[in-house]
Amino acid sequence: MSVGTQSYQLSDYLEKLPGTTFRKLYQQPPTTFAIFRRMLPPLAKRFVNALLYMPDPLPLSDLDIWVKAEGKLQRDRALSILRSLHIVQITPPGKDRVQEMQLTSNFKKSYRMVLEGGGDEQWFGVPSDLPVDPAIDIPFLDRYARKKWEDILHYVVSSVGVGDTSTGSGPKTSVKDLLLAGHLVERRVGSQGGISITQAGFTFLLQEANAQVWTLLLLWLEAADHANDPGMDSIDMLSFLFMLASLGLGQAYDTDALTEPRKNMLPSLVDFGLIYIPRDTRQYFPTRLATTLTSTASPLRSVAAGFAAATANTSGDISSLGATPGSEPEQQKGSVVVETNYRLYAYTSSPLQIAVLALFTQLNMRFSGMVSGRLTRDSIRRAISYGITADQIVSYLAAHAHEQMARTAAAAGRPVLPPTVVDQLRLWQLENERMRTTGGFLFKDFDTPQDYAAVSGYAEEIGVLVWKSDRKQMFFASKHEQLRDYLKSRKKAE
Amino acid sequence: MPRAIRGVLIECEPAIKSIIVHLDSKNNDFIIEDLDEQHLVIKENMVFLLKQKLEERLKETYRPEEPLADSD
Repeated sequence: MSVGTQSYQLSDYLEKLPGTTFRKLYQQPPTTFAIFRRMLPPLAKRFVNALLYMPDPLPLSDLDIWVKAEGKLQRDRALSILRSLHIVQITPPGKDRVQEMQLTSNFKKSYRMVLEGGGDEQWFGVPSDLPVDPAIDIPFLDRYARKKWEDILHYVVSSVGVGDTSTGSGPKTSVKDLLLAGHLVERRVGSQGGISITQAGFTFLLQEANAQVWTLLLLWLEAADHANDPGMDSIDMLSFLFMLASLGLGQAYDTDALTEPRKNMLPSLVDFGLIYIPRDTRQYFPTRLATTLTSTASPLRSVAAGFAAATANTSGDISSLGATPGSEPEQQKGSVVVETNYRLYAYTSSPLQIAVLALFTQLNMRFSGMVSGRLTRDSIRRAISYGITADQIVSYLAAHAHEQMARTAAAAGRPVLPPTVVDQLRLWQLENERMRTTGGFLFKDFDTPQDYAAVSGYAEEIGVLVWKSDRKQMFFASKHEQLRDYLKSRKKAE
Repeated sequence: MPRAIRGVLIECEPAIKSIIVHLDSKNNDFIIEDLDEQHLVIKENMVFLLKQKLEERLKETYRPEEPLADSD
């Protein structure tokens, strides 16, 4: 999906971590492997591989031999990523020393272990030697993961949706709390179940599944950080996630081989649908949600593609590693038709997609396999009151447009969505923004123009000035404390 | 001696502003200071009510297109 933000959120999280945390993280071979796979652009990967078996640090100037002059921009980007992730060390520039670069020692040691094996074999999980229930196969795990994940998504939308409560149990309270803490939903009086979707929540829905999983996991890590629970160390949690990402889909692993804190993480991971634990066994099965965490393949395919597959009743058979980045959008089948008269038809029977559409559409009829409705001023305004923007709706409709719409649009050289509808959606949003309000203080009745000029100038300087009129000798400021102090000090000086 | 008055700055089109001024003319209970064509300062506790009243007024003047009968 075009709106997905890919791995940026994870990189944002990693960027905030201090160097000592990275040193700890890189003690774990799966972490280095995951970071290498997921976070590095191709050029940075080549640098790492080249440096990996170099006995001595490489003079930075030698890089110029590897990289063509026109690739300087990519080279600098790659280097800055490698440095921010604490993968390479570069000596500071000195007068009589050339700058040298090398891999940080923990990363080098662990990453070599990934390639060569050796050390503690448990790094990549211990397969269970107990008999495995033959019913637990890959299609089963895919169905299980999708069900769990859709429950979570459905919870996010159903807060305002069509009141379809028949879709099952919904996520666990702990998951709901995470969604609340992450402001994906918020408590609001008068809405169903007391909660409703936020703008961030809608952005979340529009993301590709992999980015969604990471969003939730990062919320979880942050919650653990805040809770300061000695049993839940966010560094170890992150390492564990990276380890899960390197496990094999459909393979049973031994829970007894896990450390105590990691065992304690299992229930939460079950709630997210990342792993499956059969009753009364000492086994756990990573699902596709977990095994694709650090690859570019999509865990459920995107929301829409997932539904297309679900309705077509095919089992998930794409290989978790085989898919190339960017091949995803082509495989995805849209289902929504928007006409110039604001009518909307969606060929879907998925409760989740219907609930999403109901956020901004007045749905009139539901058939088996299809719903129809209209985009109306009221339905759009309601969506906007939840914080959903017109642009988000437009990008959702564009991303989920039926292939027939895409085909005719491409043949005629027109945009996929009717321009009249797109413009009208934006106009409806503007209508709602007729008034901009800013709370604060109106300053007036200055004794002299000099007083006015000095105080308003100071307000501008400290960034609290919202509006001013030199003619009226008045200004409006968003805060007054500093200005009051400033006025006092001026008084004293007189 | 300069004064600082707590309030909410409203920024809007002149047309909307004139509606607000009109609403205020009955009881003078909204506006603290009429600044210029597009700016007003109103009382903090009246913002919600003002938004509601404005919405009502706009509903009177705006005729949304009648939905076509969904016969199909």
